[in-house]
Amino acid sequence: MHKKLLMVLLVVFLLLPAFVFAGGKQEKGSGEVVIYTALEEDETADYLALAKKELPNLDIKWVRYSTGEVSAKLLAERENPQADLVWGTAVTALALLQDLFQPYKPAGYDKLPAQFKDPAGYWAAIDMYVAAFAVNKDRLAKKGLDKPTSWTDLTKPEYKNEVIMPNPGSSGTGYLQVSSILLWKGIKEGKEDGWEFLKKLNKNIVEYTNSGSAPAKIASKGEIAVGASFGYRVAKQISAGYPVEMVFPSEGSGYELEANALLKGAKHPAAAKKFLDWTLSEDAMKAYSKYKIMVTLPGIKSQSTIPLPDPKDVKLFPMDFKWTSQHKIEIVNKWTSLFQDKTKPE
Amino acid sequence: MSTITAENIQPKGKKILNDKYLIYVVGGLIGLFLLVFMLLPVLNILRLSMTAYDPRKHEFLGRLTLANFTNYFSKPAIVQSLYHSLWIAVWSMVITTTLAFFFAYGLTRTTIKWKKALYYVAMTPLIAPSLLQAMALISLFGSNGLITAGLLNVEWNIYGPTGIIISEVLYCFPHAMVILYTTLSAVDSRLDEAASSLGASEVTTFFKITVPTARYGIFSAAALVFNLAITDFGNPIIIGRGYNVLSTEIYLQVIGMQRFDLGTTIAVVLLVPSIIAFLLNYYFTKKSHSLISGQAKPQLPPSRPLKKYGFTAYSWTIAGILLSVIGVIVFKSFIKVWMYNWSFTTSHYQFKIPGGISVLWTSLKIALFVGFFGAFLTILNGYIIEKKKPFFAQPLYLFSVIPAAIPGLVMGLGYILIFNTRFLNLDNILYGKPLIIIINVIITNFTLGTLSSISNMKNIDKSMDEAATSLGANTTRTFLRIIFPLNRISFMSNLIYYFMRSMVTISAVIFLISPDVHLASIAVINLEKDGQEGPSAAMATLIIIIVIVMLAIFALLFKKRGLKVVAESE
Repeated sequence: MHKKLLMVLLVVFLLLPAFVFAGGKQEKGSGEVVIYTALEEDETADYLALAKKELPNLDIKWVRYSTGEVSAKLLAERENPQADLVWGTAVTALALLQDLFQPYKPAGYDKLPAQFKDPAGYWAAIDMYVAAFAVNKDRLAKKGLDKPTSWTDLTKPEYKNEVIMPNPGSSGTGYLQVSSILLWKGIKEGKEDGWEFLKKLNKNIVEYTNSGSAPAKIASKGEIAVGASFGYRVAKQISAGYPVEMVFPSEGSGYELEANALLKGAKHPAAAKKFLDWTLSEDAMKAYSKYKIMVTLPGIKSQSTIPLPDPKDVKLFPMDFKWTSQHKIEIVNKWTSLFQDKTKPE
Repeated sequence: MSTITAENIQPKGKKILNDKYLIYVVGGLIGLFLLVFMLLPVLNILRLSMTAYDPRKHEFLGRLTLANFTNYFSKPAIVQSLYHSLWIAVWSMVITTTLAFFFAYGLTRTTIKWKKALYYVAMTPLIAPSLLQAMALISLFGSNGLITAGLLNVEWNIYGPTGIIISEVLYCFPHAMVILYTTLSAVDSRLDEAASSLGASEVTTFFKITVPTARYGIFSAAALVFNLAITDFGNPIIIGRGYNVLSTEIYLQVIGMQRFDLGTTIAVVLLVPSIIAFLLNYYFTKKSHSLISGQAKPQLPPSRPLKKYGFTAYSWTIAGILLSVIGVIVFKSFIKVWMYNWSFTTSHYQFKIPGGISVLWTSLKIALFVGFFGAFLTILNGYIIEKKKPFFAQPLYLFSVIPAAIPGLVMGLGYILIFNTRFLNLDNILYGKPLIIIINVIITNFTLGTLSSISNMKNIDKSMDEAATSLGANTTRTFLRIIFPLNRISFMSNLIYYFMRSMVTISAVIFLISPDVHLASIAVINLEKDGQEGPSAAMATLIIIIVIVMLAIFALLFKKRGLKVVAESE
């Protein structure tokens, strides 16, 4: 009896490694490509379903992180890059990591307007996303609060503990919100008013979240009245049946481009380039347009099935990407020293 | 050692020599394994915490400095997380130990009914990822929780330190309960009887006899809870809402801000209380074992009705709370929109995440492998340390117990910092692959596995080993034919332990997932952090189901074999 059991155990024991690693080995032969993305998980799953149809030879592996997490991963792995490319990550974050990328101008690069691509080909943008508040009507009514329509509204004392926003260090959305407020208050002219405004806003903030979509989701759940997030996520929450409304701040919504880049030292450069070509194709752009307010390929209108407004109806804040990426580190550092320790106010 | 042993009378000297070397090789390999995968990552973190860092380029500069620590302690905002952690850990320790003590007392010293059921219910927190408690508490007591907003309509909510402490209590409960249960059932309760027959009241007996005799068990449970609470990551990140503790601070600094300098520095700060708590736990466990008496299990006299009903009510209240944690999550996974739309749905079970539903199979495969490999390795390790006692048995033992002192998150951070470099060229086979996760989980849980197999080896009479040797069996044969079969129960329990840890662990592996390997427990935390509470509840439910099913399968195998083992060894 001992012998039998022992043999069974030993066989299982010896077979297990094969079992575990079998998956990894099979895939080596085909065109494997490893993608880091900051796009939302649900939209990515839809795009990839299409990509798999159109690029049957590619074996696509992906993981979704928040913008800051993508940066941390790329930096941690710089000696031995695991990803081949980055897909849909805030351009201000990518611009900072230029050393980690190699220039590549994918097919379709020429069709993009100049403001949506790096002249040397370090990155090419696929879409634009816009800051928006998710406002929970249910909670407003319960608290007897008016619907806020601007950032200034959110600094009013009655919204104390009713606002949640992303951390600009880890979230692209968070950074575009903070930088648009700073720009609006004249930081380029050396004014400190923007920081004073953020301090006032901070008094009402319950928590700074890691990702830009979390505030919309938390507000949807009715945990908080207002979540500063971005258009697509708010629209998605509305169509999922939550009692939320989308509000674009009347001062103008900050916006940001989401772009792709090819890693220096990518292990599967050919497959990566093939995928990057696809990301700018008309089919891919049409797929994005179901989720985005605006895609970068001219001529493709947003056809979102979710309640997104026409871009013409949204007052956009004039962003300065060059300035915002150059000053990202110092802004984030200053922001961190002021607000990172946000503890739950009593 | 001076008596005649099998080795002394063995005629074939050459064979003994070979066996000796075999032990050296195998023991040496285990030692090397621990050195590379446990000690090096931790030492590397220590080194990096004392290395200058350029936060602009996110690069370590190689210069030795203490600036990171002065930097850390000069930022009151970040040092705050240290106080927070200590605050959480101390309260969790006091509350958990007290609650668990009375629970264990009820199971061992009173004649309440359904003891076995209560014991199993108390173990349920072990089968779910350590954020389930926080998830359930938020669903019920969050600012839009079922009880706070739905039933009572009050402003109060559970976020922050209160929430963390309560979730830690629920999470640590079984760990403390097992220790106290063992202590109370092993300590000589005849003393209690003697006291009461001499006229001492029950209360006097309890405080003058029961508590003092169990003191080392109580201390050891308290130290363990302190360690678990201060190193936990899942619960505080979900329910802390801005109340940062050391473990969440490490994560935010590294992942959110790419500050590897602060991350490693805070990791070293976290190591200090964690190691102290571990040493205390270790010391008290040893002390506690010395108090255990062999003939300490007299028949329990029937408890007085008041005591019996009191303890029945108490135990079932706790059991009810533990069960409802799981119940709420399972229920929630079928609710369309919590608090807004209570209709039934299964749509949360369609996961739109990297890897999709297959993350469960990845987790299961990895957990099975961790289970078999971990159990085999720890049994072998116990055998070498306890039975073969090579000259390096002491250092090997020391190496084997250290992992329990290292927080999982610190170990994980250590892994990404060392194994994604060109170090020993290990990056190609390890980094981003399942193997690194398997090794990490085996290492982080190495201590308990080894200790349990050592205590098991102690029960195997040395003469077995000697008899086999003198009959001509070599070491390999002895191990495979005698030692291993005699340790089947211990093997199975180590396997189950490793399997469960691997299915539910978060902190150790959160830094290690990659496009190649997505794990179910990490999917739960990512979904929850992202506010997708339905799918995260669904994934947690599936993990719980898989663990229960696998435990049932193991139990079936184990029971059959276990009975046989008992029958045959008698």
